[in-house]
Amino acid sequence: MTSESPGFFQQLPKALPGLALIVITMVVIRLWIEPWMKGAVILGQKGWLINVFHLNYILLGIIMGLLYRNVIFGGKLPDIFADGFKLSRLFIKTGIILLGSLYTVQAIIKLGSMAIFLIGGFVVLSIIMVLWLGKLLGMDRSMTGVMANACSICGVSAAVATAPAVEAKPAHVAYAIATILGFGILTMFISPFIGHALGLNDLQYGAWVGTGILNSGQVLAACLAFNPNVAPGTAVSVGEIWNIMRVIAIPFAVFAVTIWYWSGQEQPEGSRKSLGTLLVEKFPVFVLGFLGMVLLTSIGAFGDAGIKGGPPASDTIKMIRDWMQWIFGIGLVGMGGYIDFKELAQAGGTPLKVGLLVGTTKYVLALVVVLIIRDHLVEI
Amino acid sequence: MTTIAVAIDGTEASAAALVFAVDKARLEEARLHGVFVLDTGWADFIGNDWQSSRNARQGFLDYVRGELEKQSERARRQFVGATADWPNSSFTTLPGDPAEALAGLMGRGEADAMVLGEAVYRTCGRPSVKNLAKQLKKVVRQPLFVL
Repeated sequence: MTSESPGFFQQLPKALPGLALIVITMVVIRLWIEPWMKGAVILGQKGWLINVFHLNYILLGIIMGLLYRNVIFGGKLPDIFADGFKLSRLFIKTGIILLGSLYTVQAIIKLGSMAIFLIGGFVVLSIIMVLWLGKLLGMDRSMTGVMANACSICGVSAAVATAPAVEAKPAHVAYAIATILGFGILTMFISPFIGHALGLNDLQYGAWVGTGILNSGQVLAACLAFNPNVAPGTAVSVGEIWNIMRVIAIPFAVFAVTIWYWSGQEQPEGSRKSLGTLLVEKFPVFVLGFLGMVLLTSIGAFGDAGIKGGPPASDTIKMIRDWMQWIFGIGLVGMGGYIDFKELAQAGGTPLKVGLLVGTTKYVLALVVVLIIRDHLVEI
Repeated sequence: MTTIAVAIDGTEASAAALVFAVDKARLEEARLHGVFVLDTGWADFIGNDWQSSRNARQGFLDYVRGELEKQSERARRQFVGATADWPNSSFTTLPGDPAEALAGLMGRGEADAMVLGEAVYRTCGRPSVKNLAKQLKKVVRQPLFVL
């Protein structure tokens, strides 16, 4: 269980069948199903599936991943495909790094300074709400710590980073994860409908879901489901900046919750970790790749970036953006394949109550705040 | 009946099942086989968590494994305590998914009956262990006693 997979090239041969299944799925969706949906006349309306259900290759990919695991393979990925689905995680990481080509340093500063206020406010609000509800509902202290970070920062990653520091029981972490994932998946599917129904633009929508959705994987999927284009100013370019601000906060939030958890208790010898150690252990390295990409884009290493008001994007940049659509599509089929309904269906008890209360409050409040400040959001 | 398997986890959730299984083994003069399943499904459970650093992810999986090993030791002590006067007994820790590992054990004919508490493994398991008895009832052909 504990030995994580070896390096990419060692995994590759075993991963090929699963990767082939994922890639073929995405090729079929993008080259045949999506064009068919655009032209299909249903209930007398051309493109009804797209206009009414807002289906696109991203949503279809996630749905196919879900179907593979939960229906076609009966609840568990067969061994022959499991390694390929596992490796699909790298596609999303690669996509996020390439996403750096959508921004210049100036654009990051503009978006990031706006994001930091919204994200910071909501992180603090969510932590306070979970700590209060945890006390009110008599939730175990370690579980409260895990839920505080999971609900306030970025779901599963935050739960995974926090659990060892607060000595959470495995069952507690499992319930926290199931709650966060369940809520994230629900919001991933309903957010594009709400966004379109309210007439939100990409900037408003990206800011809303980047703040309001609990789990990062679902932020990415919800953004691409709203607008599958990957370009400066699209939902994914906004939502992911919000997301990265949250991810960067993980080591700091683990440090803060650890201090809260051990306050008034004797912390076991050797288990205390400094902020520096936590930064080394928990900092997601792909963020550095993303920032490196932003830097390269800013100095023109790939030609013109196609930022609003500037010259159009170079051929290299256009090619990178085309790849990203495929990379995200493939990665999200893999993500769908990891959603296990039999685990999510068993989520319950106090963590579910706390997760739903905090998650719903955050989701609705983020929308209200974005609608209030919509004229002040900075476009890139 | 020559061998009875009992699923235990070292907590109150398996105490009644263990007492029942020991009595049953005495009555049938059968060998009693205690089983703790060390759940190997955690990496899969957090599988789509693509943004955790390698250290954070591995640190979490090591932490969970450590907790499960401690739980396995508690289960072993619980079993040894309950079978002190029944020497025809053994204890094993099986790696795997709890439902699959127990069904596999019965499928291979390593026991003629199985005893388990309704809430066994819940202190250390993923949410799906709530359904463990229900899943086993579907696949195990031998007598299954759920307490």
